[in-house]
Amino acid sequence: MLVEMSSRKLLSTTNIVAMGVGTALYAAFNVFFNIFQLPGTQLVALRPSVCIPMFFGFVFGPVVGFVAGFLGNAISDAISWGGFWWNWDVGNGLLGLIPGLAMYILKREDIFEKKGLLMAAIMAIIASIIGMAFAAYTDYIFGYGISTIEEATTILFIPAAVTDAINGAILTPILVAAYGAAVRGRARRA
Amino acid sequence: MRTRFIRYIEGKSVIHRLDPRSKLIFVFSILLSLTVAPNILFLIPLLAVSLAFYFSARLPWSKTKTTWKFVLAIILVLSTLNLLTLSILYGGAQTLEDVIAQLTSKEVLLKSLTPVTKLLTLAIATVTFIFTTPPHLYAPALGQMGVPYKVAYIVQLALRYIPEYIDEMKKTLEAQMARGFRPKGGKNPIARILSVVPLVVPVTISATLSIYDIADAMELRGFGEKRCHTWYRKLRMMRRDKLLIMISIALAAIYVAIFLMRLYGVIDIPTILRLC
Repeated sequence: MLVEMSSRKLLSTTNIVAMGVGTALYAAFNVFFNIFQLPGTQLVALRPSVCIPMFFGFVFGPVVGFVAGFLGNAISDAISWGGFWWNWDVGNGLLGLIPGLAMYILKREDIFEKKGLLMAAIMAIIASIIGMAFAAYTDYIFGYGISTIEEATTILFIPAAVTDAINGAILTPILVAAYGAAVRGRARRA
Repeated sequence: MRTRFIRYIEGKSVIHRLDPRSKLIFVFSILLSLTVAPNILFLIPLLAVSLAFYFSARLPWSKTKTTWKFVLAIILVLSTLNLLTLSILYGGAQTLEDVIAQLTSKEVLLKSLTPVTKLLTLAIATVTFIFTTPPHLYAPALGQMGVPYKVAYIVQLALRYIPEYIDEMKKTLEAQMARGFRPKGGKNPIARILSVVPLVVPVTISATLSIYDIADAMELRGFGEKRCHTWYRKLRMMRRDKLLIMISIALAAIYVAIFLMRLYGVIDIPTILRLC
Protein backbone atom coordinates (compact mmCIF):
# COMPACT_ATOMS: atom_id res chain seq x y z
CA MET A 1 0.00 0.00 0.00
CA LEU A 2 2.69 2.45 1.01
CA VAL A 3 5.30 1.13 -1.40
CA GLU A 4 3.04 2.02 -4.28
CA MET A 5 3.10 5.69 -3.25
CA SER A 6 6.80 6.25 -3.85
CA SER A 7 6.65 4.91 -7.38
CA ARG A 8 4.00 7.43 -8.43
CA LYS A 9 5.11 10.24 -10.62
CA LEU A 10 6.28 13.48 -9.13
CA LEU A 11 3.45 15.74 -10.22
CA SER A 12 0.58 13.34 -9.63
CA THR A 13 -2.66 14.92 -8.44
CA THR A 14 -2.07 13.55 -4.91
CA ASN A 15 1.38 15.13 -4.75
CA ILE A 16 0.08 18.45 -6.08
CA VAL A 17 -2.65 18.50 -3.45
CA ALA A 18 -0.15 17.46 -0.78
CA MET A 19 2.08 20.39 -1.75
CA GLY A 20 -0.88 22.79 -1.68
CA VAL A 21 -2.21 21.49 1.64
CA GLY A 22 1.24 21.45 3.25
CA THR A 23 1.85 25.02 2.11
CA ALA A 24 -1.54 26.18 3.41
CA LEU A 25 -1.04 24.49 6.79
CA TYR A 26 2.48 25.82 7.25
CA ALA A 27 1.41 29.33 6.26
CA ALA A 28 -1.71 29.27 8.47
CA PHE A 29 0.26 28.27 11.58
CA ASN A 30 3.21 30.54 10.81
CA VAL A 31 0.96 33.56 10.75
CA PHE A 32 0.28 32.94 14.44
CA PHE A 33 3.82 32.03 15.40
CA ASN A 34 5.52 34.85 13.51
CA ILE A 35 4.45 37.09 16.37
CA PHE A 36 6.92 35.26 18.62
CA GLN A 37 10.03 37.16 17.68
CA LEU A 38 12.99 35.99 19.73
CA PRO A 39 14.54 38.98 21.45
CA GLY A 40 17.89 40.02 20.01
CA THR A 41 17.45 38.26 16.69
CA GLN A 42 16.36 39.37 13.28
CA LEU A 43 13.10 37.94 11.99
CA VAL A 44 13.68 34.70 13.84
CA ALA A 45 10.49 33.50 15.41
CA LEU A 46 9.86 30.55 17.73
CA ARG A 47 7.80 28.27 15.54
CA PRO A 48 6.47 24.87 16.58
CA SER A 49 5.05 24.74 13.04
CA VAL A 50 8.44 23.79 11.52
CA CYS A 51 7.36 20.19 12.04
CA ILE A 52 4.82 20.59 9.20
CA PRO A 53 7.22 20.70 6.19
CA MET A 54 9.39 18.09 7.93
CA PHE A 55 6.40 15.78 8.30
CA PHE A 56 5.23 16.35 4.71
CA GLY A 57 8.75 15.70 3.45
CA PHE A 58 9.06 12.54 5.52
CA VAL A 59 5.73 11.09 4.41
CA PHE A 60 5.29 12.40 0.85
CA GLY A 61 8.90 12.78 -0.29
CA PRO A 62 11.54 15.49 -0.55
CA VAL A 63 9.92 17.58 -3.29
CA VAL A 64 6.60 17.89 -1.47
CA GLY A 65 8.47 18.85 1.70
CA PHE A 66 10.55 21.45 -0.12
CA VAL A 67 7.52 23.07 -1.75
CA ALA A 68 5.53 23.08 1.52
CA GLY A 69 8.41 24.79 3.34
CA PHE A 70 9.35 27.20 0.57
CA LEU A 71 5.89 28.39 -0.46
CA GLY A 72 4.45 28.19 3.05
CA ASN A 73 7.16 30.46 4.39
CA ALA A 74 6.87 32.83 1.42
CA ILE A 75 3.10 33.17 1.84
CA SER A 76 3.23 33.56 5.63
CA ASP A 77 5.92 36.24 5.31
CA ALA A 78 3.72 38.02 2.79
CA ILE A 79 0.77 37.85 5.18
CA SER A 80 2.65 38.84 8.33
CA TRP A 81 4.69 41.71 7.00
CA GLY A 82 4.44 41.83 3.24
CA GLY A 83 7.91 40.83 2.19
CA PHE A 84 9.75 38.17 0.24
CA TRP A 85 13.15 36.92 1.35
CA TRP A 86 14.02 34.18 -1.12
CA ASN A 87 16.97 32.76 0.81
CA TRP A 88 14.92 32.23 3.99
CA ASP A 89 12.26 30.56 1.87
CA VAL A 90 14.86 28.20 0.40
CA GLY A 91 16.16 27.55 3.93
CA ASN A 92 12.67 26.62 5.04
CA GLY A 93 12.30 24.47 1.93
CA LEU A 94 15.42 22.56 3.00
CA LEU A 95 13.69 21.89 6.34
CA GLY A 96 11.18 19.84 4.34
CA LEU A 97 13.54 18.43 1.71
CA ILE A 98 16.11 16.84 4.05
CA PRO A 99 13.67 14.70 6.10
CA GLY A 100 12.27 13.60 2.74
CA LEU A 101 15.63 12.00 1.92
CA ALA A 102 14.81 9.36 4.57
CA MET A 103 12.73 7.85 1.77
CA TYR A 104 15.92 6.61 0.13
CA ILE A 105 17.47 5.31 3.35
CA LEU A 106 14.49 3.68 5.00
CA LYS A 107 12.13 1.04 3.66
CA ARG A 108 8.66 2.49 3.10
CA GLU A 109 7.01 0.00 5.43
CA ASP A 110 9.34 1.01 8.28
CA ILE A 111 8.48 4.69 8.43
CA PHE A 112 5.73 4.32 11.02
CA GLU A 113 7.80 1.91 13.16
CA LYS A 114 10.22 2.86 15.94
CA LYS A 115 13.09 3.04 13.46
CA GLY A 116 11.16 5.49 11.33
CA LEU A 117 10.25 7.74 14.24
CA LEU A 118 13.87 7.89 15.38
CA MET A 119 14.92 8.68 11.83
CA ALA A 120 12.32 11.48 11.68
CA ALA A 121 13.78 13.08 14.80
CA ILE A 122 17.38 12.81 13.56
CA MET A 123 16.47 14.13 10.12
CA ALA A 124 14.62 17.06 11.72
CA ILE A 125 17.78 18.09 13.58
CA ILE A 126 20.00 17.75 10.49
CA ALA A 127 17.46 19.69 8.42
CA SER A 128 17.30 22.52 10.96
CA ILE A 129 21.06 22.91 10.97
CA ILE A 130 21.52 22.80 7.18
CA GLY A 131 18.40 24.79 6.32
CA MET A 132 19.00 27.62 8.75
CA ALA A 133 22.74 27.71 7.97
CA PHE A 134 21.84 28.23 4.32
CA ALA A 135 19.44 31.06 5.16
CA ALA A 136 21.71 32.83 7.66
CA TYR A 137 24.91 32.65 5.64
CA THR A 138 23.28 33.65 2.35
CA ASP A 139 22.10 36.76 4.20
CA TYR A 140 25.78 37.40 4.89
CA ILE A 141 27.09 36.41 1.43
CA PHE A 142 24.64 38.58 -0.50
CA GLY A 143 24.73 41.27 2.17
CA TYR A 144 21.04 41.45 3.02
CA GLY A 145 21.29 43.42 6.24
CA ILE A 146 24.26 41.49 7.67
CA SER A 147 27.88 42.44 7.14
CA THR A 148 29.93 40.09 9.33
CA ILE A 149 29.97 36.32 9.59
CA GLU A 150 29.95 36.44 13.43
CA GLU A 151 26.77 38.44 13.32
CA ALA A 152 25.13 35.95 10.97
CA THR A 153 26.04 33.14 13.38
CA THR A 154 24.96 34.72 16.64
CA ILE A 155 21.84 36.61 15.65
CA LEU A 156 20.50 34.40 12.86
CA PHE A 157 21.92 30.91 12.64
CA ILE A 158 22.17 29.75 16.28
CA PRO A 159 18.74 30.98 17.48
CA ALA A 160 16.94 29.75 14.36
CA ALA A 161 18.67 26.37 14.15
CA VAL A 162 18.37 25.54 17.86
CA THR A 163 14.69 26.42 18.21
CA ASP A 164 13.77 24.70 14.94
CA ALA A 165 15.76 21.59 15.84
CA ILE A 166 14.05 21.26 19.25
CA ASN A 167 10.57 21.86 17.87
CA GLY A 168 11.16 19.62 14.86
CA ALA A 169 12.77 16.74 16.74
CA ILE A 170 9.91 16.58 19.25
CA LEU A 171 6.90 17.24 17.06
CA THR A 172 7.79 15.49 13.77
CA PRO A 173 7.88 11.94 15.25
CA ILE A 174 4.61 12.69 17.08
CA LEU A 175 2.99 13.72 13.79
CA VAL A 176 4.38 10.70 11.94
CA ALA A 177 3.14 8.33 14.65
CA ALA A 178 -0.30 9.98 14.75
CA TYR A 179 -0.57 9.85 10.97
CA GLY A 180 0.49 6.20 10.93
CA ALA A 181 -2.24 5.34 13.42
CA ALA A 182 -4.82 7.31 11.45
CA VAL A 183 -3.83 5.69 8.15
CA ARG A 184 -4.08 2.20 9.62
CA GLY A 185 -7.67 2.98 10.59
CA ARG A 186 -8.56 3.92 7.04
CA ALA A 187 -7.64 1.03 4.78
CA ARG A 188 -8.56 2.89 1.61
CA ARG A 189 -5.77 5.45 2.07
CA ALA A 190 -2.69 4.68 0.09
CA MET B 1 -12.09 33.81 0.24
CA ARG B 2 -14.03 34.87 3.30
CA THR B 3 -11.36 37.02 4.84
CA ARG B 4 -8.67 38.79 2.95
CA PHE B 5 -5.47 37.35 4.29
CA ILE B 6 -2.83 38.61 1.93
CA ARG B 7 -2.36 42.30 2.52
CA TYR B 8 -3.80 43.65 -0.70
CA ILE B 9 -4.82 47.31 -0.62
CA GLU B 10 -7.32 48.31 -3.26
CA GLY B 11 -6.49 51.27 -5.38
CA LYS B 12 -6.61 52.73 -8.86
CA SER B 13 -3.00 53.82 -9.31
CA VAL B 14 -0.92 52.94 -12.34
CA ILE B 15 0.89 50.23 -10.34
CA HIS B 16 -2.41 48.61 -9.36
CA ARG B 17 -3.44 48.43 -12.99
CA LEU B 18 -0.16 46.83 -14.12
CA ASP B 19 -0.15 43.21 -15.14
CA PRO B 20 1.10 41.06 -12.19
CA ARG B 21 3.56 39.38 -14.55
CA SER B 22 5.36 42.62 -15.34
CA LYS B 23 5.49 43.55 -11.63
CA LEU B 24 6.96 40.15 -10.82
CA ILE B 25 9.66 40.59 -13.48
CA PHE B 26 10.43 44.03 -12.04
CA VAL B 27 10.86 42.66 -8.48
CA PHE B 28 13.19 39.93 -9.75
CA SER B 29 15.30 42.39 -11.73
CA ILE B 30 15.71 44.54 -8.59
CA LEU B 31 16.67 41.44 -6.62
CA LEU B 32 19.24 40.40 -9.22
CA SER B 33 20.71 43.91 -9.53
CA LEU B 34 20.99 44.25 -5.75
CA THR B 35 22.80 40.94 -5.49
CA VAL B 36 25.48 41.88 -8.03
CA ALA B 37 25.82 45.61 -7.21
CA PRO B 38 29.46 46.41 -6.36
CA ASN B 39 29.07 49.21 -3.78
CA ILE B 40 26.69 51.62 -2.12
CA LEU B 41 26.81 54.21 -4.92
CA PHE B 42 25.40 51.61 -7.28
CA LEU B 43 22.61 50.93 -4.81
CA ILE B 44 21.32 54.51 -4.87
CA PRO B 45 19.75 54.29 -8.39
CA LEU B 46 18.08 51.01 -7.37
CA LEU B 47 16.72 52.56 -4.18
CA ALA B 48 15.41 55.48 -6.24
CA VAL B 49 13.70 53.14 -8.73
CA SER B 50 12.11 51.16 -5.89
CA LEU B 51 10.93 54.32 -4.17
CA ALA B 52 9.45 55.61 -7.44
CA PHE B 53 7.65 52.27 -7.82
CA TYR B 54 6.33 52.53 -4.26
CA PHE B 55 5.20 56.15 -4.49
CA SER B 56 3.43 55.70 -7.83
CA ALA B 57 1.27 53.06 -6.13
CA ARG B 58 -0.11 55.83 -3.86
CA LEU B 59 -0.64 53.50 -0.93
CA PRO B 60 -2.33 55.16 2.06
CA TRP B 61 0.04 55.59 5.01
CA SER B 62 -2.59 54.46 7.51
CA LYS B 63 -2.67 50.96 5.96
CA THR B 64 1.04 50.49 5.41
CA LYS B 65 2.10 51.97 8.75
CA THR B 66 2.52 48.67 10.63
CA THR B 67 4.67 47.16 7.89
CA TRP B 68 6.95 50.18 7.77
CA LYS B 69 7.31 50.28 11.54
CA PHE B 70 8.43 46.67 11.42
CA VAL B 71 10.84 47.11 8.50
CA LEU B 72 12.35 50.30 9.92
CA ALA B 73 12.78 48.75 13.37
CA ILE B 74 14.74 45.86 11.87
CA ILE B 75 16.85 48.17 9.78
CA LEU B 76 17.65 50.38 12.78
CA VAL B 77 18.61 47.40 14.94
CA LEU B 78 20.67 45.83 12.18
CA SER B 79 22.57 48.96 11.23
CA THR B 80 23.49 49.59 14.87
CA LEU B 81 24.60 45.99 15.30
CA ASN B 82 26.60 46.09 12.08
CA LEU B 83 28.29 49.29 13.14
CA LEU B 84 29.19 47.96 16.58
CA THR B 85 30.49 44.56 15.47
CA LEU B 86 32.53 46.06 12.67
CA SER B 87 34.16 48.73 14.77
CA ILE B 88 34.75 46.67 17.92
CA LEU B 89 35.68 43.31 16.40
CA TYR B 90 37.56 44.39 13.32
CA GLY B 91 38.77 47.85 14.21
CA GLY B 92 41.37 46.57 16.63
CA ALA B 93 40.32 49.33 19.00
CA GLN B 94 41.86 49.27 22.47
CA THR B 95 40.37 52.26 24.20
CA LEU B 96 37.02 53.99 24.19
CA GLU B 97 38.38 56.82 22.05
CA ASP B 98 39.51 54.26 19.46
CA VAL B 99 36.02 52.79 19.36
CA ILE B 100 34.45 56.20 18.84
CA ALA B 101 36.97 57.00 16.12
CA GLN B 102 36.21 53.69 14.44
CA LEU B 103 32.46 54.23 14.71
CA THR B 104 32.63 57.45 12.76
CA SER B 105 35.26 56.35 10.23
CA LYS B 106 34.18 56.33 6.59
CA GLU B 107 35.05 52.69 5.94
CA VAL B 108 33.07 51.31 8.86
CA LEU B 109 30.07 53.50 8.16
CA LEU B 110 29.98 52.45 4.50
CA LYS B 111 30.49 48.79 5.30
CA SER B 112 27.59 48.76 7.72
CA LEU B 113 25.25 50.90 5.62
CA THR B 114 25.57 48.89 2.39
CA PRO B 115 23.79 45.70 3.54
CA VAL B 116 21.08 47.72 5.23
CA THR B 117 20.44 49.73 2.05
CA LYS B 118 20.14 46.46 0.11
CA LEU B 119 17.58 45.16 2.59
CA LEU B 120 15.59 48.40 2.47
CA THR B 121 15.52 48.49 -1.36
CA LEU B 122 14.38 44.88 -1.53
CA ALA B 123 11.70 45.47 1.10
CA ILE B 124 10.30 48.52 -0.73
CA ALA B 125 9.98 46.63 -4.04
CA THR B 126 8.38 43.46 -2.59
CA VAL B 127 6.04 45.34 -0.25
CA THR B 128 4.73 47.34 -3.21
CA PHE B 129 4.19 44.16 -5.23
CA ILE B 130 2.25 42.44 -2.44
CA PHE B 131 0.17 45.49 -1.54
CA THR B 132 -0.90 46.12 -5.15
CA THR B 133 -1.55 42.60 -6.45
CA PRO B 134 -4.84 40.86 -5.63
CA PRO B 135 -4.10 37.30 -4.40
CA HIS B 136 -6.51 35.66 -6.85
CA LEU B 137 -4.21 36.74 -9.68
CA TYR B 138 -1.07 34.99 -8.37
CA ALA B 139 -1.82 31.58 -9.90
CA PRO B 140 -3.16 32.85 -13.28
CA ALA B 141 -0.12 35.14 -13.54
CA LEU B 142 2.26 32.24 -12.96
CA GLY B 143 0.28 30.01 -15.33
CA GLN B 144 0.31 32.59 -18.08
CA MET B 145 4.02 33.27 -17.60
CA GLY B 146 4.76 29.83 -18.94
CA VAL B 147 4.93 28.03 -15.59
CA PRO B 148 3.28 24.57 -15.96
CA TYR B 149 -0.34 24.78 -14.80
CA LYS B 150 0.17 22.03 -12.27
CA VAL B 151 2.78 24.16 -10.52
CA ALA B 152 0.55 27.25 -10.64
CA TYR B 153 -2.20 25.12 -9.12
CA ILE B 154 -0.06 24.46 -6.02
CA VAL B 155 -0.15 28.21 -5.33
CA GLN B 156 -3.87 28.33 -6.08
CA LEU B 157 -4.60 25.42 -3.72
CA ALA B 158 -2.45 26.88 -0.94
CA LEU B 159 -4.20 30.26 -1.06
CA ARG B 160 -7.57 28.52 -1.24
CA TYR B 161 -6.94 26.38 1.85
CA ILE B 162 -5.28 28.86 4.24
CA PRO B 163 -8.62 30.34 5.46
CA GLU B 164 -10.03 26.81 5.59
CA TYR B 165 -7.31 25.68 7.99
CA ILE B 166 -7.60 28.76 10.16
CA ASP B 167 -11.30 27.82 10.51
CA GLU B 168 -10.29 24.23 11.20
CA MET B 169 -8.03 25.47 14.01
CA LYS B 170 -10.95 27.31 15.59
CA LYS B 171 -13.19 24.25 15.26
CA THR B 172 -10.58 21.95 16.81
CA LEU B 173 -10.05 24.35 19.69
CA GLU B 174 -13.81 24.43 20.33
CA ALA B 175 -13.98 20.64 20.20
CA GLN B 176 -11.13 20.42 22.72
CA MET B 177 -12.85 22.96 24.94
CA ALA B 178 -16.07 20.97 24.81
CA ARG B 179 -14.05 18.07 26.24
CA GLY B 180 -12.87 20.17 29.15
CA PHE B 181 -9.66 21.77 27.81
CA ARG B 182 -9.34 25.36 28.98
CA PRO B 183 -6.78 27.38 27.04
CA LYS B 184 -5.13 30.08 29.12
CA GLY B 185 -6.03 33.29 27.47
CA GLY B 186 -7.72 36.41 28.56
CA LYS B 187 -6.03 39.61 27.60
CA ASN B 188 -2.48 38.33 27.39
CA PRO B 189 -1.67 38.11 23.64
CA ILE B 190 1.21 35.65 24.12
CA ALA B 191 -0.94 33.25 26.12
CA ARG B 192 -3.61 33.42 23.44
CA ILE B 193 -1.08 32.51 20.77
CA LEU B 194 0.31 29.71 22.92
CA SER B 195 -3.17 28.18 22.87
CA VAL B 196 -2.54 27.43 19.17
CA VAL B 197 0.30 24.98 20.00
CA PRO B 198 -1.92 22.01 21.05
CA LEU B 199 -3.73 22.37 17.71
CA VAL B 200 -0.69 21.65 15.51
CA VAL B 201 -0.97 17.85 15.63
CA PRO B 202 -4.77 17.33 15.26
CA VAL B 203 -5.21 19.95 12.52
CA THR B 204 -2.20 18.66 10.54
CA ILE B 205 -3.41 15.05 10.72
CA SER B 206 -6.97 15.84 9.66
CA ALA B 207 -5.71 18.02 6.83
CA THR B 208 -3.29 15.32 5.67
CA LEU B 209 -6.06 12.74 5.60
CA SER B 210 -8.21 15.05 3.48
CA ILE B 211 -5.50 15.22 0.78
CA TYR B 212 -6.72 12.00 -0.84
CA ASP B 213 -10.33 13.21 -0.92
CA ILE B 214 -9.33 16.50 -2.56
CA ALA B 215 -7.13 14.69 -5.10
CA ASP B 216 -9.97 12.25 -5.94
CA ALA B 217 -12.43 15.12 -6.37
CA MET B 218 -10.04 16.92 -8.69
CA GLU B 219 -9.31 13.84 -10.77
CA LEU B 220 -13.04 13.11 -11.10
CA ARG B 221 -13.39 16.55 -12.66
CA GLY B 222 -10.67 15.72 -15.15
CA PHE B 223 -7.68 17.49 -13.55
CA GLY B 224 -4.38 16.35 -14.99
CA GLU B 225 -5.98 14.63 -17.99
CA LYS B 226 -4.88 17.11 -20.61
CA ARG B 227 -1.53 18.71 -21.08
CA CYS B 228 -2.79 22.20 -21.82
CA HIS B 229 -4.90 24.26 -19.53
CA THR B 230 -6.70 27.55 -20.03
CA TRP B 231 -7.20 30.20 -17.37
CA TYR B 232 -10.50 31.82 -16.54
CA ARG B 233 -8.82 35.14 -15.84
CA LYS B 234 -7.06 36.10 -19.03
CA LEU B 235 -4.27 38.61 -18.41
CA ARG B 236 -3.42 41.12 -21.10
CA MET B 237 -0.20 43.02 -21.48
CA MET B 238 -0.70 46.73 -22.10
CA ARG B 239 1.85 49.22 -23.36
CA ARG B 240 2.77 50.26 -19.79
CA ASP B 241 3.47 46.61 -18.89
CA LYS B 242 5.83 46.21 -21.82
CA LEU B 243 7.56 49.45 -20.82
CA LEU B 244 8.08 48.23 -17.25
CA ILE B 245 9.42 44.88 -18.47
CA MET B 246 11.84 46.68 -20.80
CA ILE B 247 13.05 48.92 -17.98
CA SER B 248 13.47 45.92 -15.66
CA ILE B 249 15.44 43.92 -18.21
CA ALA B 250 17.64 46.91 -19.04
CA LEU B 251 18.33 47.57 -15.35
CA ALA B 252 19.28 43.97 -14.62
CA ALA B 253 21.36 43.77 -17.82
CA ILE B 254 23.39 46.85 -16.89
CA TYR B 255 24.13 45.57 -13.37
CA VAL B 256 25.01 42.08 -14.56
CA ALA B 257 27.23 43.54 -17.30
CA ILE B 258 29.09 45.70 -14.77
CA PHE B 259 29.48 42.68 -12.49
CA LEU B 260 30.79 40.42 -15.27
CA MET B 261 33.16 43.01 -16.67
CA ARG B 262 34.64 43.63 -13.23
CA LEU B 263 34.90 39.90 -12.65
CA TYR B 264 36.94 39.39 -15.81
CA GLY B 265 38.87 42.61 -15.31
CA VAL B 266 37.64 44.22 -18.54
CA ILE B 267 36.85 47.47 -16.76
CA ASP B 268 37.28 48.77 -13.29
CA ILE B 269 35.01 51.17 -11.49
CA PRO B 270 36.10 54.78 -12.21
CA THR B 271 37.93 56.35 -9.27
CA ILE B 272 35.08 58.77 -8.61
CA LEU B 273 32.73 55.86 -8.01
CA ARG B 274 35.22 53.96 -5.91
CA LEU B 275 34.67 54.49 -2.24
CA CYS B 276 37.49 52.98 -0.29
